[in-house]
Amino acid sequence: MELERIGVVLRPRVTREALDLGAAMLRAHARPVWSAWFAFTLPLFVLCNGLGVALGWPWLGWGLMWWLKPLFDRLPLYVLSRAVFDQAPGWRQTLRGQARWPWRRTLAALTWLRIDSNRALRLPLDLLEGSTRAQRSARWKVLRRRLVGETSLLTYFCLLFELVLFLSVWLFALLLIPHEWRPQSLIELVRGDTQVIPTAWVLAGAGVAYLAMSVIEPLYVACGFALYLNRRTQLEAWDIDLAFRRLRARLQGTALLAVALLCFGAWTPPAQAQATAEVHAAAVDKPASVSLDALFGARAEAPEPGLAQAAARAYRDPRFGGEHTVRRWQLKYKPEPAATSINPLFPWLGHLLGGFFQLLLWLLLIGVLGGLVWLGWRWRGRWLVRDEEVASALSPPISSIVDAPAALPADLAGAARALWQAQRRREALALLYRGCVEQTARELRQPPAADATEAHWLRQARAIDDPQRSRRVIEIVRTWQFAAYAGRYPDDATVEQLLAGWPAQPGAST
Amino acid sequence: MIDTVREIETAEGISLRLRAAGALPRAQAWVLDLLLRGVFFLVAMIPLSIFGVAGNGLAMLLLFALMWAYGVVCEVWMDGQTPGKRALGLRVVHADGTPVTWLPSVVRNLLRVVDILPGVYGVGLVSTLVDPHARRLGDIVAGTMVVHARELPPGQQVPAVSALPLPLALSADEQAALVDYAERAGQLTVQRQEELANLLTPLTGLRDTAAIRQLVAHVNWLLGRA
Repeated sequence: MELERIGVVLRPRVTREALDLGAAMLRAHARPVWSAWFAFTLPLFVLCNGLGVALGWPWLGWGLMWWLKPLFDRLPLYVLSRAVFDQAPGWRQTLRGQARWPWRRTLAALTWLRIDSNRALRLPLDLLEGSTRAQRSARWKVLRRRLVGETSLLTYFCLLFELVLFLSVWLFALLLIPHEWRPQSLIELVRGDTQVIPTAWVLAGAGVAYLAMSVIEPLYVACGFALYLNRRTQLEAWDIDLAFRRLRARLQGTALLAVALLCFGAWTPPAQAQATAEVHAAAVDKPASVSLDALFGARAEAPEPGLAQAAARAYRDPRFGGEHTVRRWQLKYKPEPAATSINPLFPWLGHLLGGFFQLLLWLLLIGVLGGLVWLGWRWRGRWLVRDEEVASALSPPISSIVDAPAALPADLAGAARALWQAQRRREALALLYRGCVEQTARELRQPPAADATEAHWLRQARAIDDPQRSRRVIEIVRTWQFAAYAGRYPDDATVEQLLAGWPAQPGAST
Repeated sequence: MIDTVREIETAEGISLRLRAAGALPRAQAWVLDLLLRGVFFLVAMIPLSIFGVAGNGLAMLLLFALMWAYGVVCEVWMDGQTPGKRALGLRVVHADGTPVTWLPSVVRNLLRVVDILPGVYGVGLVSTLVDPHARRLGDIVAGTMVVHARELPPGQQVPAVSALPLPLALSADEQAALVDYAERAGQLTVQRQEELANLLTPLTGLRDTAAIRQLVAHVNWLLGRA
C-alpha cells in the first residue's frame, strides 16, 4: 500500500460522515463498480431463477439471490479498494482478481455468518488484510470498537433503502400505467383475490428486487469500506502520515516540480466573462387577434357528410356511449353513525370552534384580496423594465488576460525574450515574474504560496543573503507591477538587463 | 481527490467547509422525527378524544401542523435542526453556508410532496444518492443543503516543553499537520508515533524518542509558548 497515491481526502471524520464518504467514492467510481457487478451477478440471476422455474419453486431464485449477497459484495470492494489507491480496474480484471482473494471467509459469510449485521465492516478486514485467525480476531476487537452500532444501523437502513426502491418501482407502475393496460392478474394480485401467485409475477418481483439490490448493495459495501478507512485513519493517523511524507519530500528537494505546479496553479486564466447584452434586444411581437374564419379561410360550420358518419361511428364505441353493466357491492342497510362511547364533555365546543375557524377563513380571504389590491395599487405602472436599466446593470468586459501555461519553460530567459520580441510584452513580463518568484522561493527554501502577493515577494527579497540577488528580485517585481497595474512598460535595454543573470537564468552565478 | 466537503470561498478569502450529509444519516434523522411526531400525536389524542367532534377537529389540525409546520418551525427557530437532526448532528443551511431562513425552509418542506413520490420517498432517495452534495429535489429548488454540524472531540492538550524554533519556514498545512500530530499522539501506539516522527528526520535530524520530543518542542514554538 502506498499512502501517497490515495485518492480520497483523509481526515478523521465523525462516523456518520465516513458513511457519506462511501457514497462519494461510489459516485466517483460508478462505472467500474457497476460494470463488474452486472458482469458477475446478471448470469447468476438468470441461473438462479432458471433453476427455480425448472424445479417448480419460483421463489427459489429470489431467495438464492438474497442469500448470495456476501458473494456479490466482493466485487464492489475489489474495485473500490483498488480505485482508492490506484487505477480503477476494468470488469475483466475484477473478475480475474477474485481468484486471488481468499474464499474461506466468504464461505463463512455465506453460512454461519449470513445473518450478521456487521458484514460491511468485516469484509475489508477479511479480504484486504489477509491475516491469521488469531490476528484477525484481535484486529476485529480493535476495529469494531465504537463502530458496532453504526455498522448495524448501516445494515438496517440499507435493507430499508432496498425496500423503498423495490416498492417505488411497483407503486410508480401502479400510478402511471393506465387502468385499461393493467393485466388482470396483477389487479387480482393487488386485491388479494388469488391464492397462488403466478410464476410470471414472482419472476418480475425477483427482477425488481435484483435491480434494487444492484443499486444499494454496492453502496453498502462502499460505506463499510469508508468506515474501515476512517477507523484506520483514526488508529494510525494516516492523514498526518501523508502530510509528513509530503513535507519530507519537499525538504529532500525531490518535489520541486510539484512545488512549481502548486505555486503557479492559481495562474491559469479565468474564463473570459462573456457579457451577453442582448437580453432585451429582441422585442416580442404581440400576436394580432385573428378570427377562426380568417385562419381557416372558410366558415367552420358547414359539416362534411363523412364527418357526421365518423362521429356516429365514434358514438357507437362502447367507451363513449351505449349501456354499461356495472356490478359492485353495496351495503343493504345504511350504517348507523357510530355512537361514541364517551359522551363529549362540552357539546357546544365543536360549534364554537367551527364558527371560530370559519370566521378566521373569511378574514383570511378578505386579507388576501385586500393585499392583492394594495400590491396592484403600489406597483402600478412599474411592470415593464426599461432597456437602459438592464444595460447599466451589466459590467464592462474584462480585457487583457495573460495566457500563461501552468509549467515554466526550461529556458526561461529565452522564452521571455521571444515573447518580448513578438510584442507580447505583458506575457513576457508575467513569465519573468513567475520565474523570479519561483527562484526566490527555492533560494529561501520556502513552501509554495499560491496566495502570495507582489508585496509579499518584495518583503521576502530583503531576506536573501546576496544583496545583488535581492536587488534584482526587487527590480523585476517592481517592473512587473508597473506593467501589470499601470500599463507602463520598460524599454528593450532594461528588459535585456533583467533577463541576464540569476533569476532568469537559474544556473548563472550572479 | 474524493471528499464530501463543499468548499465556499468568501470575498474576504476565507474558505468555509460544508460537510454535506448523505442519504444514510438523513434517513436516520427522518425516521427519528417520524417516531417523535407519531408518539406526540398519540399522546395528544388521549385528552382530545373526550371532546368528541370538536376534539376530532383539533386532532386533524394538529396532524396538519405536525406534517407541514413541524419542519419549517424547527428549522427556523431551532438553528436549522429538527429534534431528529439534532440527535444525529445534522443541520439545514443555505447552499452558501448561512443559516436557513423562512422562505427556503418553506419551499424545501413543501417540496416533500415531490420527494415522497410514490409514497415511500423513492424520488428523494434516488436524488440524494445521485446528487454530489446529497440534496433531495426540495433542497435543490430551495437552495439549501443538509450538513454535519458535529465535530470530532479535540485531541489531548499538547504537553508543555521548552519551545524550539523551526529551522525553516513551513506552510500553513504543514504547521497544522505538526500540531495535529502533537495533539493526537495520545491516540496512537508508541511504535506508530516513532514511525511518524522518523518520517521527519530531514527536519529534526533525530530518530525515535528524541525525534518525538523535538517535534513536540517545535509544536510548542508554533503554539506561541515560551
